[in-house]
Amino acid sequence: MSEDRKKELFKELHEAVVEYEEDRVAAAAQAVVDEGIDAYEAIMDGLAAGMEEVGVLFDSQEYFVPEVLMCADALYAGLDILRPHVDMTGREAVRGEVVIGVVEGDVHDIGKNLVKMMFEVAGFTVHDLGADVPLDQFVEKQISTNSDIVALSAMMTTTMMGMKKAIVKLKEKNPNVMIMVGGAPVTGEIADMFGADGYSENASNAVSEAIKMVGALRTM
Amino acid sequence: MAMTSKERVLNLIKGKPLDQVPASSGFGNVIVAGLEKYNLRFAHVHLDAQEMADAAAATVEIVGIETPIVPFDMGVLAEALGARLNTYPHSEDLLYPTMRDKFVQTADDIVLPADMANAGRVPLVSEAIQILKKRFGDDYPVGSWILGPFTLASQVWDLNDLLKSSAKDPAKVEAILAKLTDALILEAKAYVDAGADFITLREMGATSDVLSPRMFKKTVKSWSEKILASIDAPKVYHICGGTDMIVTDMAEVGADAISVDQKNDVAATREKLGPEAVILGNVHPYDVFTAGTPEMVRTEVQKAIDAGVDSVWPGCDIWPATDAENLKIWVDMVHSMEPRRKA
Repeated sequence: MSEDRKKELFKELHEAVVEYEEDRVAAAAQAVVDEGIDAYEAIMDGLAAGMEEVGVLFDSQEYFVPEVLMCADALYAGLDILRPHVDMTGREAVRGEVVIGVVEGDVHDIGKNLVKMMFEVAGFTVHDLGADVPLDQFVEKQISTNSDIVALSAMMTTTMMGMKKAIVKLKEKNPNVMIMVGGAPVTGEIADMFGADGYSENASNAVSEAIKMVGALRTM
Repeated sequence: MAMTSKERVLNLIKGKPLDQVPASSGFGNVIVAGLEKYNLRFAHVHLDAQEMADAAAATVEIVGIETPIVPFDMGVLAEALGARLNTYPHSEDLLYPTMRDKFVQTADDIVLPADMANAGRVPLVSEAIQILKKRFGDDYPVGSWILGPFTLASQVWDLNDLLKSSAKDPAKVEAILAKLTDALILEAKAYVDAGADFITLREMGATSDVLSPRMFKKTVKSWSEKILASIDAPKVYHICGGTDMIVTDMAEVGADAISVDQKNDVAATREKLGPEAVILGNVHPYDVFTAGTPEMVRTEVQKAIDAGVDSVWPGCDIWPATDAENLKIWVDMVHSMEPRRKA
């Protein structure tokens, strides 16, 4: 397998995600499968890398939310093709299960959906509770799935305050669960104040935070 | 003879001379102290005209704000069009109502009620306006507000679909916004007919945090223009979130004043729009009024004054769990402001 060919296809996946060209992503993903290239590498170095660039374009206000959503669709077009071919041997150790949702009173879920997508890209199993999720549902889902991580999202300062209570309740039921928080008004400081174990500034960084958390859990 | 609060607020909005700058806002300013005064539950005040009026009046009485404003939740028109309102009646925490069941897939799903003035809670809000008018006579202006069609669309139509269609299927978005615009024109008319003295049009869904300035110009601006043209009362155009790149457009939609939040660089906005523009804003309602120390309130209010606002407004609704004392500091500072046009 030529290194150049791999690079070529990963670059194609990356660019097609950035250009939000679903068909182009799908075609490149299919080529990866047909040519026996490692699907997981293609996901990380092609699709995820593309989405990281999309994040930069969004931060610099070249892309806005409609573009980001279309890029996410393009990414999923590739992910759907590649995921069944991913070989997780040796990789499960740093993956895990995540419960994710937007706290009660808050219906903004685009950010949460992007984080969910990145978790899926990285091979986590995601239990998505959606938006406007009552506290107790986070607790119930974490218990019933025995998830390693609960990721809480809020887009408004006022609904963010509900995270504090959620974290207390979750830790009461299961002191070992790792809690990650994120969303527009959330900062590292607030995450610490609320007793969260991790804080995600953006979708890409949510995954690296989660990997750290799962790593920490595995050593307990 | 000194001007009344009503004269001051309406002159403020219209950019006319003032003998004193009024402490005001264009959107909800209910506080817990007010709810307690009238023995009200937040989840219920949206559902009863007297309670809604009392909650609004309380802030005037306790804090000295000069604008009683109704309604408080953003669901009135969505509900009138068929969506379900969730007031979280069983929640321990204070939550603003949200909408359930986004029922719009195409413009055909939007059916305007034959009599908007009597649809859903429109008559309830109208009654609250009337109660406030009777109560405050000619001393205070009763304010009301409506959403812009883009923001309203996000309540009744899947947001992902709305945003992607803005790029991929603009005709579909246009058809939906056209109908919602007609609905909003009727809602504003109902409130003005009930006696509302000024109206704020809130199009926060179109912030540059979400939509490109180009998309704002192409997809949102003209609908705001149409609605504002139909309103026969002093009017304010409000967008919270990032607005630096669209202030010139905001100033062109036909409102008497614009309202922006803490993300706006007001000094730069003032540069762009010139000394005659009426700019209202832009203190962070939560970080400053709710969570801030009195010192922080003073600092941030002064910043807004120095940046060149015509009056200091909160950047959005005042969060109910806000201390009256912080708001009183703000009210006093506004009263001590030098009017940009002195009467």
